[in-house]
Amino acid sequence: MKITQDAALGGLFVASGGIALLMALQYPFGTAGRMGPGYFPVIVSTLLVLTGTGILVRGRLASSEAIVHARWLPLLIVPGAVALFGLLVEKLGLPLAVMLLTVGAATASVGFQLSWKATSGAALFSAVCALVFVKLLGLPIPLVGSWLPALGV
Amino acid sequence: MDIFSGLMLGFATATTFSNFIYCFFGVLLGTAVGVLPGVGAIATISMLLPFTFGLPVDTALIMLAGIFYGTQYGGSTTAILMNLPGEASSVVTTLDGHEMAKQGRAGRALAAAAIGSFFAGTVGTLFIVIAAPLLASFALTFGPTEYFSLIVLGLVTSMVLTSGSLLTAFGMALFGMLLGMIGTDVNSGAARYTFGSPNLLDGLNFVVVATGIFGLGDVLANLETERTRSAGVAAVKGLFPSREDWKRMSAPIVRGTGLGVLLGVLPGAGLLLASFSSYALEKKLSRHPEEFGKGAIEGVAGPEAANNAAAQTSFIPMLTLGLPGTATMALMIGALIIQGVQPGPDILTQQPALFWGLVVSMWIGNLMLLILNLPLVGMWAKLISVPYRFLFPMICVFTTIGVYSINNSIFDVYMMALFGLLGYFFRKVGAEPAPLILALILGPMAEEYLRRTLLLSHGDASVFFTSPLSLGTLIVAAVLLLSIISPRFRRVREEGLQEAD
Repeated sequence: MKITQDAALGGLFVASGGIALLMALQYPFGTAGRMGPGYFPVIVSTLLVLTGTGILVRGRLASSEAIVHARWLPLLIVPGAVALFGLLVEKLGLPLAVMLLTVGAATASVGFQLSWKATSGAALFSAVCALVFVKLLGLPIPLVGSWLPALGV
Repeated sequence: MDIFSGLMLGFATATTFSNFIYCFFGVLLGTAVGVLPGVGAIATISMLLPFTFGLPVDTALIMLAGIFYGTQYGGSTTAILMNLPGEASSVVTTLDGHEMAKQGRAGRALAAAAIGSFFAGTVGTLFIVIAAPLLASFALTFGPTEYFSLIVLGLVTSMVLTSGSLLTAFGMALFGMLLGMIGTDVNSGAARYTFGSPNLLDGLNFVVVATGIFGLGDVLANLETERTRSAGVAAVKGLFPSREDWKRMSAPIVRGTGLGVLLGVLPGAGLLLASFSSYALEKKLSRHPEEFGKGAIEGVAGPEAANNAAAQTSFIPMLTLGLPGTATMALMIGALIIQGVQPGPDILTQQPALFWGLVVSMWIGNLMLLILNLPLVGMWAKLISVPYRFLFPMICVFTTIGVYSINNSIFDVYMMALFGLLGYFFRKVGAEPAPLILALILGPMAEEYLRRTLLLSHGDASVFFTSPLSLGTLIVAAVLLLSIISPRFRRVREEGLQEAD
């Protein structure tokens, strides 16, 4: 089954608007003169549900393009590599985390090949990043992470 | 402070050694990253943000402005040499610019863009010098009512001027507003939409969302079509325009500048409107309209000037009202807030050195671009041909480090990954994210001003129509909305915007 663009977007809007509305109803509503924290969220999320419904209806009435998509892998790998960086940057330090992110993200490319040249390029890039961001720009990111001393490095 | 002493202060600030150097680095880095295919202005700025973190406020802002111009300029180089517009406003440049490149006149197209942009930048700066102080002192009389109406106008224009359907754009703006509500409610102290996570009490960081949607989202979208990307870069030669070229491009540059200066101030999408209307105008005025789309130098010079003039004057609403007119300006506001500066009418009186230093360095930055780019264009052309598989891991690294270093927050990194996926999704369903980004910053402001207005009027909404300025603003917004329903405007909008996809 093909999912159309309008069906996907309308679905997202209706679902997120619906959840937001249910949550907003828990907040005190107040009056127009003294709005509670729920006032604006209720209005906006109701409008979002309505707009989403409109987009769904439009998708049924007019022909909406089907979502064509080619590769699942980058969608897992790239955000995964970014999340891995977050998980490990304080534990391994910036250069190693950058190295992991660079090589990890690179595997998402169709042209990826594990070679010495590319790996040493990534290592050099990590070293330059550490130098520029930590030494030159003074960003407070550890160069040596908290795990390394424990491992005897 | 009068204009003259303001400018003196500005020159004194902008020409200190470190400000001058950082302006130069900003322009250089901005061009270098902006020239990379598949990296738009917002992605470039968010990627380069961490370079400004350690700097004093004025230097950081000057460098950011330099990055912004460099990005704009780099984008036109890619548009001309590769037929790849970095964003909607440089689509027009591809029409004739790339045709010229195919005919071996790439150098002249680049020169026309550079000269047009420099002239427009100079006039745009002068316009800011004259208009911004006036508008800022005027803005000090604005109450919450007027601000609310202005925000409505800004949101409406951004919806009307995005490619794609109005309904989709409206939904995106609402979605952005909801995201903006995450965090502690200022008035009641209630935690809204935080799902019990203390990380969300301060709300979503704007830069994190923008970087995820534009930076990482772009990477994901590009990776999908990696195999089919063309890598043809036109050769650059013959940089100097002939006498005939000069004659043909000077009037379009002047007209484009005029259009851009005025349209850039509009909240919403001044840049896009400026470059498209300049193209349409030149085509109409030309004695050889048939040459347009086949390499007419007027079609490069006019829109490029308009685009740059608008980029310049789009700083006006941001600096004087604290309201971003474009998604890029919204990101600049995010950057300013990180630096601890709240943009708005007070900036001129409370931090005159910051304001005037920025204005003067805008002009210096434009001059640097002209001097830098014409001789270095061969180097930029080489940079364009770096394969994407080498580029995108670096883009990931820069955006991730940038996001992490805002607050040293790992949570922000996870959020960026999440918004990257969301950005990819929006691209797949044909929804332009610009209204979302604007609404994310404007939504909370709208709520705040609406609350204050109705608190003062005891819940009576008619005040929006009894204040003349507020009424006028709302009428403009309504006319814009109605005009999109009219068949004539709709046709123009579709013609202009469909190519932006």
